Amino acid sequence: MTNTDQTASDLDIAGPSHSAARPVHMPGDGAMWVMVLGDFIIFGSYFVIFMIYRAMAPHEFLESQQHLNLNVGALNTLVLLTSSWFVARSVQAVRAGDHSRGLRLTYLGGLCGVLFIVIKAYEWTAKVAAGYTMPSNQFFMFYYMLTGVHLFHVGLGLLILGIVVRELRNPRRRRLSMVESGATYWHMVDLLWIVIFALLYVMR
Amino acid sequence: MSSAVSTESAARPVDPGARPAGKRDVWIVFWIVPAFYTAFGIIFFALARVMPPPRPDVTTDQMAHFFHAHATTIQIGFGILVLIVGGAGVANGIVVYHIKRMTVGSVLGYAYMGSLAVGALPGCLLVAFCFLTAVYRPDRDPQLLALLYDLGLLSYVGSLGCFTTAWFAFAIAILYDRNQIFPKWLAYVTVWQIVTEILAIPVFVSKAGPFAWNGSIAFWVGTVVFGFWLSCLIVFLKKANDLQPADEAPLP
Repeated sequence: MTNTDQTASDLDIAGPSHSAARPVHMPGDGAMWVMVLGDFIIFGSYFVIFMIYRAMAPHEFLESQQHLNLNVGALNTLVLLTSSWFVARSVQAVRAGDHSRGLRLTYLGGLCGVLFIVIKAYEWTAKVAAGYTMPSNQFFMFYYMLTGVHLFHVGLGLLILGIVVRELRNPRRRRLSMVESGATYWHMVDLLWIVIFALLYVMR
Repeated sequence: MSSAVSTESAARPVDPGARPAGKRDVWIVFWIVPAFYTAFGIIFFALARVMPPPRPDVTTDQMAHFFHAHATTIQIGFGILVLIVGGAGVANGIVVYHIKRMTVGSVLGYAYMGSLAVGALPGCLLVAFCFLTAVYRPDRDPQLLALLYDLGLLSYVGSLGCFTTAWFAFAIAILYDRNQIFPKWLAYVTVWQIVTEILAIPVFVSKAGPFAWNGSIAFWVGTVVFGFWLSCLIVFLKKANDLQPADEAPLP
């Protein structure tokens, strides 16, 4: 998201003569923004439904929340934020024409994504071993489904970052819009996790 | 096709304002799609009472009562459905036809066709036969009626894998295609359906609440997204038909 801001401010600095010639740049492909905004609407509906069921059984939800490991959740948040930072820096590198740096940063971003999945797998395993599974109660049903569907998005994001890598490795490709679209998607995954983390782990 | 049409389309191969190309067979198949899904909607919503699904958290007697109360409409609705269910194949067929016109090759089209052909069995036909069997002998043991109730609705809402495969194949085909048969964003709308299918997994363990087979997340969000996708699909199938040049070489 910081990239968008930076582009906008760059355009302002460029002055009126430039901004008249260069229209405001929308990062990435328009279709990817349909994906992102639609996904926000769908996830938004899940979050509203979660809040409604939480309001109907506040004690059960609070009691169940105590069994989640806040440290692991916070660690995963940091991992995903770091990966988003790498991906944002890679877009900046590609914009500046430094493709090998962009490639390295994309690899680092993807590596953090893999680390997120590993930590999540550990967390799930620990929860299942402690006897907290999907049928345990409504809270754990939400916990496994929201984190699970988010994990699917992380997996899809790794696939998209893989496509970005393929794009950057081939000197004849290297389309900036593809790199930006990948980053747009990856930031969405990040933002969705922050909301899920807040709703499931933090909110008292 | 008349020579006048082909000369005109050769000069202006892609012109949205031009009158539909002379492909009568493709247009007939196209119009079956909205006709079939309208009939499908009427049957599932108004007649068979599967949409919205009846509650999973009811007693055996209430399940038996459901079949007694709706026996006639179930017989009319699902009787018609088993007669016209081939329309689903026609609807999948025209999508495959346009996938084959893409630059991706036909393999994703076959993946789409194959997975939806298998998916129609648990996703649409099994509930029809369960419900038709249940109302066929209404004096059957209520426990058996309850079994048919559960089996029908679990297979109807819980048949997920074949559909996710089809949506994946369709999305990848659209994203890779350079002929721009469908807009790229339709691929992402298709991906949303995979998301909603994933969230329907708990129907097998959840008997009430948002993840039950009639739940807001497992059923309603998925149904709304499917309805939106289907509307988009019909609009863009029509557009793909419109834009297909009348003199395009027949597909192999």
